[in-house]
Amino acid sequence: MTAKEIQDRVVKILTPYVKDEKALASAGPTTNLLEDLKVNSARLVDVVLAFEDEFDIEIADEDVDSVNTIGDCVALIEQKV
Amino acid sequence: MQAPLRGERIALLVQLGISRLLSPLWIPLTSAILRFGFGWRVDAAERAAARAEYRRLRSEPKAPILICANHLTMLDSFVIGWGIGYDRDYLRDFGALPWNTPETVHFASNWWKRVLAYLYKCVPVRRGSDRAEVAKVLDKVRFLLARGQTALVFPEGGRSRTGRIDVTAAAYGVGRIVTALPGCRVLCVYLRGEGQESWSDLPRRGERFHVSVACIEPKSDQRGLRASLDVARQITARLAELEQRYFDGR
Repeated sequence: MTAKEIQDRVVKILTPYVKDEKALASAGPTTNLLEDLKVNSARLVDVVLAFEDEFDIEIADEDVDSVNTIGDCVALIEQKV
Repeated sequence: MQAPLRGERIALLVQLGISRLLSPLWIPLTSAILRFGFGWRVDAAERAAARAEYRRLRSEPKAPILICANHLTMLDSFVIGWGIGYDRDYLRDFGALPWNTPETVHFASNWWKRVLAYLYKCVPVRRGSDRAEVAKVLDKVRFLLARGQTALVFPEGGRSRTGRIDVTAAAYGVGRIVTALPGCRVLCVYLRGEGQESWSDLPRRGERFHVSVACIEPKSDQRGLRASLDVARQITARLAELEQRYFDGR
């Protein structure tokens, strides 16, 4: 699976959690989930759990701490698949 | 979870030492302000039961204790500390006086609030900030609990906008602390003023509070994030039961 394919699926997963949909339309690897997309920090764990289900991977508690941008999500998933 | 850096551990222990040194001044003063300044009181029978349960927990062998409560006003931490423990108990067993994790913006605005937060055993957190920063605060709380201190956290993550416990709003960080500490017991505390219809900055003057507590030792068969979330939801579910009991008894 390429990074681009992972990113597309990550963006799709993020869609229901995003408050700034305009920012999502132009999202790239450096787009910050909390600051740019306005994802509620309390829902971040739901996003990561959705990654687990979508990619059939297991993500440790500590790994969530490194998830700030879409690029971070892609890198984390690439490590696990 | 990781242990805080050496400098951070030392800073916490220095804060603990200074706070403890000055506690014969500020603990009775705080109680007097709550009682006579704000005119607040807690239902005597419920308060005695809560204090007896907390004292019993503290007297047991040293497994960590995390206090989890509902959250309706900015001064909940003070009222809960006052409601579940006697001043004399806190002066004798300073670890029983819980650490708090207040939102930084409430305390960063001027120097005297920062001094108060320091004395009142606070580890401020910026909610919604960088995850690594939040994780550092969780690590500090875990470090303190493992050393026989207690901490008070609000598993809903903030003041309830509906005025009722929202089980689905469980902040997984609470579960992360508990799952990282084998045998960790959770003292669920439900506190509510009779005039507290929803959330607010302060309880009303002359408020009469009701308090109830329940001790649980949450466990999960799941792993990783799911285990943390499962544990956080067990805690909020127990708080919701205490809330239901409160409203049933009104």
